[in-house]
Amino acid sequence: MGLHNIQSIARPTTADEAWRLRTADPEATRFLGGGIDLILYTPETVTTLIDVSRLGHAGVTAGRNALAIGAGTTLSAILEAPEILSYTNGFLGDVLRHVASPLQRNVATIGGAVARAHPWSDVVLALLVLDAVVEVFDGAARSIAVVDFYASRSQSVAPLVTGIRLPMRMPSARGAFEKFARTGFDVGLLNCACVVELAKGVCRGVRIAAGGTPSLARRLPEAEEFLEGNRLSSETIGSTAKLAARGVNARDDRRASGSYRRTLTEVGVRRCLERLADGGAEGTR
Amino acid sequence: MRRLELTINSARRVVDAAPGDTLLEVLRREGYVGVKKGCGSGDCGACTVLLDGRAVNACLVLAAKAEKRAILTIEGLAGGDGLHPIQEAFLDEGAVQCGYCTPGMVLSAYDLLSRSPAPNEGEIREAISGNLCRCTGYVKQIRAIRAAAERMRSGRNE
Repeated sequence: MGLHNIQSIARPTTADEAWRLRTADPEATRFLGGGIDLILYTPETVTTLIDVSRLGHAGVTAGRNALAIGAGTTLSAILEAPEILSYTNGFLGDVLRHVASPLQRNVATIGGAVARAHPWSDVVLALLVLDAVVEVFDGAARSIAVVDFYASRSQSVAPLVTGIRLPMRMPSARGAFEKFARTGFDVGLLNCACVVELAKGVCRGVRIAAGGTPSLARRLPEAEEFLEGNRLSSETIGSTAKLAARGVNARDDRRASGSYRRTLTEVGVRRCLERLADGGAEGTR
Repeated sequence: MRRLELTINSARRVVDAAPGDTLLEVLRREGYVGVKKGCGSGDCGACTVLLDGRAVNACLVLAAKAEKRAILTIEGLAGGDGLHPIQEAFLDEGAVQCGYCTPGMVLSAYDLLSRSPAPNEGEIREAISGNLCRCTGYVKQIRAIRAAAERMRSGRNE
């Protein structure tokens, strides 16, 4: 327990300074946000932590076209922000209520969750279906779609995450989330989420993704394309769920078999879409 | 070792700590043994303390991150010789058996009741979902937190 090889904690006040410290010695340094993952998983080579909490990246702000969430915002603060309660019919709040325990959500930051990106991450899954944009700094400030952020993670030092932007959706946009886990804050066997905008009953902007497969969450384009322009009926829901199960990259690991995960994907997507058809957003653990 | 200035139970304390020490390690070393060491990985909640009013796992917070923030341990909850209404309710409802989870459970309840004075059962269950009790089935703790909420609302024990 603890980080007994750590010799110092740097406290930069600018992203530029933080980045220079990080890249000067990649093996020996790590960015420190909430710190949970560092305490649990830091390699022994790390001797300096770079505390990024003084960079001023915290809080939730509603703009005209997007919600901006600073990387240092805790999951609890996001969950309780009034802007989040109304965003996509409460979908993001519903997801965050299923992440770990309140004790951990009071410490964990969205920047840390995005940067660490555990394969079972509910946060990454939610950001994928919300078309989130990740604000990063790697010598210069950049914005990158969340899907590209994970596809391009080949840099030796991952960029500093400074914030998340969630595009404003139609008022009719709603999402649903399903997580299969043995207990409330156990790592899920599989998670999935769907977001749609309903225009006169027709689905637009369909996003469907599954995570913990056991790989990091990915969108399921065949299922999305099938549902786009369709109405939510028992037939279209069943067909979309089957396409999701066919498209998911499900594999075996110690928690579940690939075939079981494929079945969970079908069941989870079906439940999400049924809930959307009923107009609700409440998920289950 | 580095000198840290911590505010523990409203009192300023200067302590020596290594940069990688957790808040749990520092608090127990300084004598706040009501902060229990359980799993050390954020699963059990025995080490729960309040940091700026919010319940956290002290085993998952670096002590250095707690500087200039208000730390509240179970020792500081009642603020005197008596008991806090939540502690009284835990005793009255028989919500304490071995007692190892109790400080953490009480502080998670305090965080909840500070923000939500009249929680329903679902909210109570959610609030203590990070605090494991291996003696009970949580029924009495939930009953105690409900009773504490009523007492705090009516101000009978304040």
